[in-house]
Amino acid sequence: MTDATPARRAVLGIAPLQWADARAGLKAIGPLMPGSVLFGLAFGALVRVAGIDPWVGSYASVSVVAGASQIAIVEAIRANAPAIIAIVTALVINARFALYSAALAPVFSAFPLRWKLGLAHLMTDQAAVVSLQNADRYPDPVRRRWFIVGGALPFVVVWAVGSIAGIVLGPVIPDAWQIGFIVPLMFLAVLVPGLHDAPGVVAVAVSTLVVVLAKDLPWGLNVLAGALIGIAVGAFVPLRAKPEPEVPDDGLAHDAGGGE
Amino acid sequence: MTTFLIFTFAAIGTYLIRISGIVIFGRERDIPPRIERALQLVGPAAMAAIVANTLLLDEGQWRGFGAWHLAAIVAVGVALWRRSSGVTMAAGAVAFAALLLAGL
Repeated sequence: MTDATPARRAVLGIAPLQWADARAGLKAIGPLMPGSVLFGLAFGALVRVAGIDPWVGSYASVSVVAGASQIAIVEAIRANAPAIIAIVTALVINARFALYSAALAPVFSAFPLRWKLGLAHLMTDQAAVVSLQNADRYPDPVRRRWFIVGGALPFVVVWAVGSIAGIVLGPVIPDAWQIGFIVPLMFLAVLVPGLHDAPGVVAVAVSTLVVVLAKDLPWGLNVLAGALIGIAVGAFVPLRAKPEPEVPDDGLAHDAGGGE
Repeated sequence: MTTFLIFTFAAIGTYLIRISGIVIFGRERDIPPRIERALQLVGPAAMAAIVANTLLLDEGQWRGFGAWHLAAIVAVGVALWRRSSGVTMAAGAVAFAALLLAGL
């Protein structure tokens, strides 16, 4: 019956093209969603085990929206750490979002302020990287922001749903499944397919090396150190000198081997 | 109540971090090329740091070689071959499950 309605009609006041761009964003981030749900389940189960109020646990997933830092807070609470230590630890873990934020500034620059303020809250690691990887495909700022929100918002929603399910169900996933593997797997799935050029490869290698060498730094600072030093070193690696391609790069995987 | 306040302060701080670069660099029309190239490396470098910290380390100590490393190698190989996040996730998860079932 709904098929009879004209296809060009705006739904919820949103034009068909914007829906299509949002769907493209959803499609780009979709493969990572099972990881987000499982990570949410793990966080929720931890909230349950720690005896934290279910409402407060759910609130954390929609207000902080950063799983690793939320887990660190719960662990700190369980260890009876002072509140300030729990907060500072979480903020150090989340300091990498400042880097994404700087990288996203040119991507967001033509967006209205309310979009910038709203989208910033939805910038998980995955949403930020998918946005950065696909921004060039959407030179038009309107289409670009619908692509970004189409991926970022549902990703946060499934994270929150996973968290709530974890709080309700408790630790349903057996420890033997070692569900923690989903974290590196999810990030490898975003990182590796988008890795094309020498500076990127160097940044990844240096970052990895620094993280393991600095493993004894407190508060997970090795992650921040690795990211910062990886970026700094990678920025000095020259891109292979090659004339601009005649055909505009659509950023899709079929020309992945083309280099820059 | 304390827990609620801890998450609230963490949420406010995290939001300020998330908005920081967008506000600071938002008005710059001409970002110096060196900075622009550095910003393009944020994603890869941050992702790699998280992967290294969760895959190669376990709570700050070296992770013993086993299913995690092997499944990650499979995932990286498939990612380089197919250049697809979905296929990479699936291959890594299947490899990991198989390795666990095999007793690794």
